Amino acid sequence: MTTFKFTESVKMSVRSIASNKGRSFLTALGVMIGVAAVITLVALGNGTQKSVEQSLESLGSNLLILYSGETKGTSLVRRNTSNIKPSLTEEDLEFLNSLSPALITVSAPESSDSGQIKFGNKNTVGTVIGTNLNYPEVRNFYPIYGSFFSENDLAARKPAAVIGARIYKDLFEDGMDPVGQKIRINGVGFTVTGIMEEKGSSSSDTSIFIPMSTFQKYISGSDMYALINIQASDPDTMRELQTHIENEILRLHKLPNMDAADFYIANQLDLLNTLQGVTSTFTLLLGSIAAISLLVGGIGIMNIMLVAVTERTREIGIRMALGAKSSDILSQFLTEAIILSVGGGLIGIFLGITTAIGANRFGGMASSISINSVFLAFGFSVVTGLFFGGYPAYQASKLDPIEALRYE
Amino acid sequence: MIKIKNISRHYQMGPNTVKAIDDLTLNIAEGEFVSIVGPSGSGKSTLMNIIGCLDSPSSGKYTLAGEEVAGLSRNRLAGIRNKYIGFVFQSFNLLGRESAVENVELPLIYAGIPPKERRVRAMEILKRVELDGREFHQPNELSGGQRQRVAIARALAVNPKILLADEPTGALDTKTGAQIMALFRELQSEGVTLIMVTHDPDVASQAKRIVQVRDGKILVDVPVEEWNR
Repeated sequence: MTTFKFTESVKMSVRSIASNKGRSFLTALGVMIGVAAVITLVALGNGTQKSVEQSLESLGSNLLILYSGETKGTSLVRRNTSNIKPSLTEEDLEFLNSLSPALITVSAPESSDSGQIKFGNKNTVGTVIGTNLNYPEVRNFYPIYGSFFSENDLAARKPAAVIGARIYKDLFEDGMDPVGQKIRINGVGFTVTGIMEEKGSSSSDTSIFIPMSTFQKYISGSDMYALINIQASDPDTMRELQTHIENEILRLHKLPNMDAADFYIANQLDLLNTLQGVTSTFTLLLGSIAAISLLVGGIGIMNIMLVAVTERTREIGIRMALGAKSSDILSQFLTEAIILSVGGGLIGIFLGITTAIGANRFGGMASSISINSVFLAFGFSVVTGLFFGGYPAYQASKLDPIEALRYE
Repeated sequence: MIKIKNISRHYQMGPNTVKAIDDLTLNIAEGEFVSIVGPSGSGKSTLMNIIGCLDSPSSGKYTLAGEEVAGLSRNRLAGIRNKYIGFVFQSFNLLGRESAVENVELPLIYAGIPPKERRVRAMEILKRVELDGREFHQPNELSGGQRQRVAIARALAVNPKILLADEPTGALDTKTGAQIMALFRELQSEGVTLIMVTHDPDVASQAKRIVQVRDGKILVDVPVEEWNR
């Protein structure tokens, strides 16, 4: 088709679309809704995926957690470890610390128990966590005011405590400096050294961190650790590192194999993969539903174009008598269908982006517009026009001019 | 100009074969004004469609302006129609949503004439049929005679060799019909070949030569003077 014929087809189509505005709008509406739905739903799916990934990353990066107990699982979420018999020893920790920095950046033991916290006449409930100085780094969780407890506190089993953001809010007047204040945990006096940053999750924000040695002395009365947080140096070798640690801990615990193990290792990658799998299935599902609506929009275009061809049979006859070739008629109707679907597609893109942004801004839903989905939806609307406009246009081009001229 | 030799046109109607045109031979020279007459069902419309290259004969030869057109493809026929033939229909067949000048431009679009030149030519032809001042009216804003003149202007737009008119006055009153016939005679005097299908004897006798068709064959082919006798 020459540019000349193309321009003529576009002119004729625009004129015909404009002469029937209401119907043209309704025809394009199907594609509009379809494209808008694809973009919005994929944006919501992607947004959910990203927010899940972000909250996982906030746990710390390249994290392996060595848990006491037999249960296998991939949970990285801190569980109440108080009813599981701790089985991890100082020897295990020393082994981990002896590993090359190329394998492990840092590791921190952790034991926890729930505790009643009091300051003056206020009291609240929190999770008391015993750990060492590596904890902030390994869990990517730092004090925002004051400081974490010190080396000296750990060595001398001092009653020092770093309190979570919620605990601070519950116990102290707003703006009051808690550092140096005495609080009581299960009746034992502790000196506050700092406040942890707010993580937004209640389990983190209602925690109180104290030296592991102090925890063992005042709270658990045991030398064992409930779990050890490990930060791997290289995300690509985490799987191998996990196997290596399993084998070594089995040897230290004098156990034959993992079936008999009194510990297990949760891997951040496993959890990430599982969640990514779930959320991408979710996105795919939303995308497919939207794609079906795009398909329905295409059928709408075909329907209207078939009606238009029938209605304009006489016009087609006249054009043919005056010298229009089959290809001229084909391109006229095809161009009309494509303009309708592409026009619908462009408005749909605008609506989809607006809705996705609106859902985020006013509905508080996580949404992330994927450029791919925009191109995909647009491409699909072009293909819809070609495919569903193609059949009616072909029908029009094959009309017999004599019959068409006689058509009433 | 037109050399039709032994053409037939058969239609299959269920089990029966209908011979709309049966072994018909007809020659028309350049500049002639011919009326084709005959009762309905005589085959004159089929003959008209074949002459106008809307239809192809089942057998026989048809040479139009030196080109053999029997058996050409649909697309080639469309090209021939565009180049050589102007149609004038009983019911005008104007596009209702387009103005007079846009209707006249239609065949020029398919001839590949650029928009500006199309407009200039269409305006000139409308002036020729005395429709200046009505160029931008839509067909429903024009009288029957004016509509038929738009249709004639459209037929003339590509400077065709032949003007084919199918009952051109059938939808018009006598006075307007007479004006259209006067226009046809003028066009003929300017050298256009005119072929007109009609069943109205008064209209037919406006031509210079009468061809009477019956049962797909030519019954009478005489100059108008003889016909009137």
